[in-house]
Amino acid sequence: MASEDEVSLLVIVVDVNPIWWGQQANREPQFTLSKCLDAVMVMGNSHLVMTRTNKLAIIASHCQESHFLYPCKLWKSGDGHGDDNASTSGDGKYELLSVANELIAEEIKNLMSRTEVKGNQTDTLLAGSLAKALCYIHRVAKELEAGQEMKSRILVIKAAEDCALQYMNFMNVIFAAQKQNILIDACVLDSDSGLLQQACDITGGLYLKIPQKSALAQYLLWVFLPDSDQRSQLVLPPPVHVDYRAACFCHRNLIEIGYVCSVCLSIFCNFSPICTTCETAFKIPLPQVVKSKKKKLKAST
Amino acid sequence: MDEEPERAKRWEGGYERTWEILKEDESGSLKATVEEILFQAKRKRVFESHGQVRLGMMRHLYVVIDTSRTMEDQDLKPNRLTSTLKLVEYFVEEYFDQNPISQVGIITTKNKRAEKLTDLAGNPKKHIDALKKAKDSTCGGEPSLYNSLSLAMQTLKHMPGHSSREVLIIFSSLTTCDPANIYELVKTLKALKIRVSVIGLSAEVRVCTVLTRETGGSYHVILDESHFRELLSFHVKPPPATSSSECSLIRMGFPQHTIASLSDQDAKPSFSQAHLDSTSGGPGLSMGGYFCPQCQAKYTELPVECKVCGLTLVSAPHLARSFHHLFPLEAFQEDRLELLHRKRFCEACQGELKDKSVFTCPSCSSVFCVECDLFIHDTLHCCPSCIHSRSAP
Repeated sequence: MASEDEVSLLVIVVDVNPIWWGQQANREPQFTLSKCLDAVMVMGNSHLVMTRTNKLAIIASHCQESHFLYPCKLWKSGDGHGDDNASTSGDGKYELLSVANELIAEEIKNLMSRTEVKGNQTDTLLAGSLAKALCYIHRVAKELEAGQEMKSRILVIKAAEDCALQYMNFMNVIFAAQKQNILIDACVLDSDSGLLQQACDITGGLYLKIPQKSALAQYLLWVFLPDSDQRSQLVLPPPVHVDYRAACFCHRNLIEIGYVCSVCLSIFCNFSPICTTCETAFKIPLPQVVKSKKKKLKAST
Repeated sequence: MDEEPERAKRWEGGYERTWEILKEDESGSLKATVEEILFQAKRKRVFESHGQVRLGMMRHLYVVIDTSRTMEDQDLKPNRLTSTLKLVEYFVEEYFDQNPISQVGIITTKNKRAEKLTDLAGNPKKHIDALKKAKDSTCGGEPSLYNSLSLAMQTLKHMPGHSSREVLIIFSSLTTCDPANIYELVKTLKALKIRVSVIGLSAEVRVCTVLTRETGGSYHVILDESHFRELLSFHVKPPPATSSSECSLIRMGFPQHTIASLSDQDAKPSFSQAHLDSTSGGPGLSMGGYFCPQCQAKYTELPVECKVCGLTLVSAPHLARSFHHLFPLEAFQEDRLELLHRKRFCEACQGELKDKSVFTCPSCSSVFCVECDLFIHDTLHCCPSCIHSRSAP
């Protein structure tokens, strides 16, 4: 059991891409965004009641912004005591949990109603949400009292597909998380995501693609609720095989042997005299020219 | 011999009155000044943007550690040698974090001789183990700059032209014992394009000044242990490449990681090449690993140079670690808090803005607090609000 000095912070990043969820409502009406958020609330509540010193944060990752659903900016401290307007729930639930749930529901309704999707912005801004999560974890770590240690992890619930444009930002975020010893776990609803597989492999987290979406709450509680110390004692889904081969810049094929420009580190599958990214001309190694002096001497004698 | 005028020495110039920095306010307390000094100390890490200068990404660096008699001095706690070895361990870890495809080697010098502690290698564990064992070694005699530089030169001159060749000397003694004229060696180093930098622990020594000036390196003398750590961190970032370094296409392999379990039919346990050479215990048999795409030799870790066929093996994230050097993040503008009435919360961490200065990103105009600014520039390397606008680099 964790002692009083150990704080465990869980940040849940939920993908609320309205286009994917809208299509999902047509495909499977029994699993919609509200059901997903119910499962997230159950997970958040469970984490908060595991130990008194646990902390929680929830970020919604949209096409245009990332918004913190919990905790609310207007609170002075992480606990909700300053909120006079909160109605105490009639069913005797722990007040922290009921306030948290109401707040999350309120904020997600505001978020979805006020943002409009424009034109070509259909990808979820996952790298941005992860960056904000890391900054939040960094701030909470600085605000701890003396003698407290903190362990943090990020759980990503991903719905839509990967955006290849975010590759570099994503990798920066992953390396920053690895340096700060923050685990990134991924729970994927629909299609496999190579970026998240790499993130989980590099930081040491768990990657799981859920076979049945309607059982989301069960998978979250079984696989992702225990923290890293307890995971060694459980039998969890096996690690996936991550493809670390690089893609060449000219054809986007995955290659096993390639040529790397020493200036800009771009990868090519074939030798070419000029790098297309940084336009450096390369030295082409020529075969040595054999001097023919000796042969001439022999011919003259 | 001197082409540029040397800096004026302190005894030649006037006094520097360091007590004038402290100013009392009307009630006689120094609190405001102390807070200002602490705030400046937080921001002290100068963010130097090299702009559009080509950087030397693949580096071959030799660290020369002076283990002569002066290293037993106790002005760094517990003694200079232990403190230096601890800081060099930290340096090696940071170095491989920022330059994953580079290599480091360690040389020690004492008793007028130099010897190699570890060869040039890309794996941090070997170096850290060797440094830990070196803590028990004795210090004695005088160091020899000539011998250590020629030992480093012997290996560095065979390195390919596109990599940057560097030597970092941690020099504590005020003397050096050389078998031949060191200025000739400096000329040879300059011709081979080897950049030598020195960190002095005692005082400025003229031969080091000449050495670093001729080869294009930097020379600093430490004030205390935290300054020593800062000076080492300057050498972690890749330096600007010299104009004469060649650019070439390097052939590299990207092996797949195969995880085989006992239930697979074809799975056979095998030795990795690293285990065949090492003398540490353990059977070394493992099921999965990385297989070289050219010769199928097995390795357990990357990056490594294949011993059988000579191909450099890396994985794509190793190259991705160096990308932030190629696209560095701009420094944020510092403003006073009172000028921005509307924004009370830092956009990255959602905390209240309490410090007297806030930082604004020039491209997206979002406001960040001091802690987030440091975190973004040191660790994250990308502005959290800019990546919301989805511009691909």
